[in-house]
Amino acid sequence: MAASSIPVRKPRRKEFRNATLRWTLLGPALFVIAATIIYPLISSFITSFRHWQLTDSPEPGDFVGLENYRRALSDAGFINSLKVSGEYMLLSVGLTLTLGLGIALLLQKPTRLNQFARALLIFPYAVAPVLKGYSWRFMLNPEYGVYAKMIGKLFPPLDHFLWLGHEFSALLVIAMSEVWGWAPLFALMFIGALGSIPSETTEAAKVDGATSFQIFWKITLPLLAPVIYIVALLKIISAFKMFDQIAIMTGGGPGDSTQTLYYYVYQLAFRNLDMGYASAVSYLLVVLMGIIAALYVRTLLSRGD
Amino acid sequence: MTRTAVTTTARHRPSWQHRAGQLAEVLGTLLVIFFVVFPLIWIALAAFKNQIDVYSTRLLFKPTFDNFRAIFSDPIFLGGKVWVSTLVSFLTVAITVPLGAAAAYVLSRHRFRGRDTLFLMILVTQFVPAVVVAIPFFSLFRKLNLIDTPIALVIVYLSFTLPYAIWMLRGFFDSLPVEIEEASFIDGCNEFQTLRYVTLPLVMPGILVSAVFAFISAWNEFFFALILTRSNSLTLPVGTMNITGPRGPMWEQLAAAGLIVLVPIMIMSLFIRKYFVEGITVGAVK
Repeated sequence: MAASSIPVRKPRRKEFRNATLRWTLLGPALFVIAATIIYPLISSFITSFRHWQLTDSPEPGDFVGLENYRRALSDAGFINSLKVSGEYMLLSVGLTLTLGLGIALLLQKPTRLNQFARALLIFPYAVAPVLKGYSWRFMLNPEYGVYAKMIGKLFPPLDHFLWLGHEFSALLVIAMSEVWGWAPLFALMFIGALGSIPSETTEAAKVDGATSFQIFWKITLPLLAPVIYIVALLKIISAFKMFDQIAIMTGGGPGDSTQTLYYYVYQLAFRNLDMGYASAVSYLLVVLMGIIAALYVRTLLSRGD
Repeated sequence: MTRTAVTTTARHRPSWQHRAGQLAEVLGTLLVIFFVVFPLIWIALAAFKNQIDVYSTRLLFKPTFDNFRAIFSDPIFLGGKVWVSTLVSFLTVAITVPLGAAAAYVLSRHRFRGRDTLFLMILVTQFVPAVVVAIPFFSLFRKLNLIDTPIALVIVYLSFTLPYAIWMLRGFFDSLPVEIEEASFIDGCNEFQTLRYVTLPLVMPGILVSAVFAFISAWNEFFFALILTRSNSLTLPVGTMNITGPRGPMWEQLAAAGLIVLVPIMIMSLFIRKYFVEGITVGAVK
């Protein structure tokens, strides 16, 4: 199955031209998409130009022009959330790619043990994000967490370290709970891509005296680059959308150090019930995602040719 | 890398070095296995521990079923949440799959102006952050008195399951040779009959896979359920937040609830193992 890009074999028969059947089949799906995505997108956009405190009134208030957007620019909470989202994105994307690639290289040879390990790689991804959050929080509890104790044994200075109590480590732990789900999946994709690199290429390099490290940097990595690029885009998107683990593990804290843009919009809309301002900030998130989506679509299109 | 690659390296290197390398590889693989499965095993073990054992890291303990008994009775009543989650997930699948398959069929087989643009737009909707969808629906559902109902959840879940299913199912239709359908036309079937008796049965594995993916994403969903439910329609993932005592989360009961969230999904993942990677990246990696 190549659930792939744009061009498709051209049906030659007139049978696929029945317009009534076409719109009968497409109609319901398009209606649902319009109602569940297009409508809220437009509605949020309009709300972003209005004042609307839900606690005051169930109906949106006056139009205030660009007021909400201007407010965002001088809002320290918003600036902080942008910074946290950026940091989190770099941290989780970097860790996922590195670990995914490491696992793929380790499990590349089809020995029986490696085959067994590969079969296990699909499991963490499908675990509910809420459970990822709980389990890492439990395992890193400074008093009784099993990972915290292991780390304490290996690096005594980190014994009883409050993993979720410090700014950087809290972000790192959230990232790890997500990396645990994604890195094995990326490894599976990389193993597939590694398999398509002809072994003659690496063999020839070996005969010419290249070290394994050189082979990795000069041959394997460049050949994997297209796959790495596209999965990195997918991961960037998931990093900006991550919510569940923050809610379960830190609630945005300590301080506001794990308050990502996404979590900040959630706070504004559903804690402060400031729908107008929340809509404006959420639209800045939409713009950010739009840029990434554009890159993604461009890559798919260029491959279709 | 095949076996020949291993033997050539062996010939070039002293064998102790080769052995050490092999040992390091095996240890590395074992470390990967540990990293991947340990959190799952730790949840599973904690679910059968009592309130004291759960705070120790010993591997030997006397297993108990008390946690399961506790979460299904007062004050947590997880049974109701299991029911809501099951209902919402099945309803979501029941709407997503037929609508998705119908749209995917047209987008794969029919050629009409704007088709590719339409398809790209459907793909792009997946990039819309859920929080943007949640804001208008929250106020709309408040007005319509739909807050805290399963229907509200099904409606918003369609916003992410349907585009995804269309995108995935189109791939399955595309991979089906059109010649089979053309043969059916020659035999005198019209398009609807061909779709019903030829195309759909052939694409059945794809339909099952997309159903499983839709089920998993609805079952695991947390964000919308957190915002749109209060008490009557709490789903399993949100319901777990109530499993707290005076000293924070009651880990042993939480683990038992976690196992209930986890097990159906793990079984389904096994079932569609072959399609897993493709299902998630849908065409991103060729």
